[in-house]
Amino acid sequence: MSRLLKGKVLGIGLVMPSFLTLLVLVAYPVMMSVRTSLQNRAGEWSWDNYRYIFTEPLISQNIRHTMFVTIISCFFVLIIAYGIALYLRFSTRFFSKLINKLYLIPMFIPGVIAVYGFINFYRNNGWVARLIGTDNMLPIIYHVRGLIMINVWFNIPFTTMLLLSALQGIPNSIIEGARDVGATKWQLFIRFILPLSYKTMLVAITFLFMGIIGSFTAPFLIDRNAPQMLGVSMQQHFSVFNEIGQSSSLAVFMFLLSSAVGCFYIWSNMKHSKKELS
Amino acid sequence: MWFIKLIGKLKFTGFVCFFIFVIFFFGPLLNLLLLAFSGEWQYPDRLPSEWSLTWWTFVLQNDAIISSIWLSFLIATIVTLISLLICIPAAYAFARIQFPLRRFFLFSFLLTNAFPKMGLYVSIAVLFYQLNLMNTFVGIVLIHLINTLMYMTWIPSAAFENVHRSQEESARDVGASPLKVFWHITLPMAKPGIIVASVFTFLSSLNEAEGTFLVGIPDYRTMPVIMYSIIADYPSTAGSVFSVILTLPTILLLVAARKFVGAESFANGFKLK
Repeated sequence: MSRLLKGKVLGIGLVMPSFLTLLVLVAYPVMMSVRTSLQNRAGEWSWDNYRYIFTEPLISQNIRHTMFVTIISCFFVLIIAYGIALYLRFSTRFFSKLINKLYLIPMFIPGVIAVYGFINFYRNNGWVARLIGTDNMLPIIYHVRGLIMINVWFNIPFTTMLLLSALQGIPNSIIEGARDVGATKWQLFIRFILPLSYKTMLVAITFLFMGIIGSFTAPFLIDRNAPQMLGVSMQQHFSVFNEIGQSSSLAVFMFLLSSAVGCFYIWSNMKHSKKELS
Repeated sequence: MWFIKLIGKLKFTGFVCFFIFVIFFFGPLLNLLLLAFSGEWQYPDRLPSEWSLTWWTFVLQNDAIISSIWLSFLIATIVTLISLLICIPAAYAFARIQFPLRRFFLFSFLLTNAFPKMGLYVSIAVLFYQLNLMNTFVGIVLIHLINTLMYMTWIPSAAFENVHRSQEESARDVGASPLKVFWHITLPMAKPGIIVASVFTFLSSLNEAEGTFLVGIPDYRTMPVIMYSIIADYPSTAGSVFSVILTLPTILLLVAARKFVGAESFANGFKLK
């Protein structure tokens, strides 16, 4: 009995250093933010800031824009990353090996530099325009298209990595077995590969959603001035309009959206581990 | 006959996909590389008309830029060490010890990703003002730690979990103390996961710009922070030279850690139990 207790104390003791860091550096500031968002300029408790972000037409436009960009980006990232992961898992060709060596690199390129390279590459007198002729060039920089493209650029490596590891976890024996009994490629995909990897897709969606919805650098440098992503709008309310309460309420609003997705992630992980125990 | 055609077609699609992949992911980077070595590149020209190293000498002779490189590496090293020190014990506990509220502690690290970063930094800046941590080295290290907590806990935890218990137990059976088992058996076997997490931590600290900008200005200007002002104040050739310098350590580190940085050990960290 006392050994069990000792184990419990040891466990909590080992977790404490990082958990306390988390508490001081993240949880406490988050709580401060929530508090600030619930106070008006005179420092009294009120819903003013939330009333503002839900009634101001510019903000509701920004919210719609943010949701649009986030969902579309998640969709494209997921589809493309899944395609790349499938290719890397089931092809042993030369190109597949080469892509396997290369695809992780964008994840580690500093954000500012990627955006900078993107702007120089795609702006209307950039390299692409020079190569294909300015007249054939769609506006990409300072357009929502460019923002979605850079989101895809940033997020594909991480998502591909998660999905690839899930696909590599599917034993070859399952696939060969299904082929032996005459399953077509399509059936194989729908019946085996998709169900065995969809859990990881949920994980990927969670991190994609959280990463894109609160992003700042890319939308700040690439998107148009209006409508804005909420990350940019929040920063502007803070440093240009000096409205700390309003910017906090925007942050808390984004946090609630992310939390909803995060709870989904936690729930699906818990369900998974219960299954493994039984 | 049709079979050969089909194979040809498949190869062709593979090639086209690869081509799009390379253009999309590496075109912008290649563009920066060309710009960095170009002397003159007037508008309709497809390639630079003149090559030169002018901006390289400018960047490499600028003291502020050189010291920013040192500062960035110093901060990244310190952040990685501290984060190893505080997160590895937790990672081990999550993998091996059953204790109350284990799941709550484990999932709480998701908080670092759930709250929008910019909002978090602003809120921390307010806190740092009260604690006199603005424009200090400690303040920057702390703000960099935020981004590393989750990876440094989750990825090594998965690595610890994948070490077979039987190996630890057999070491215990021949009389090794728990600490000895951890040091000689568990830790070496979990090394790949820990290395991946460390590389990730080091690079994320090296590349962190938004928080450093908010907390470290004016005295602590790391490479990405300098990059902001170079983008704003200098022609794109200078920015490109600096981009290449900033990206180089990343590529070198990735190549060096290539053996460890695979999809496997990284992705395992996100399958929480």
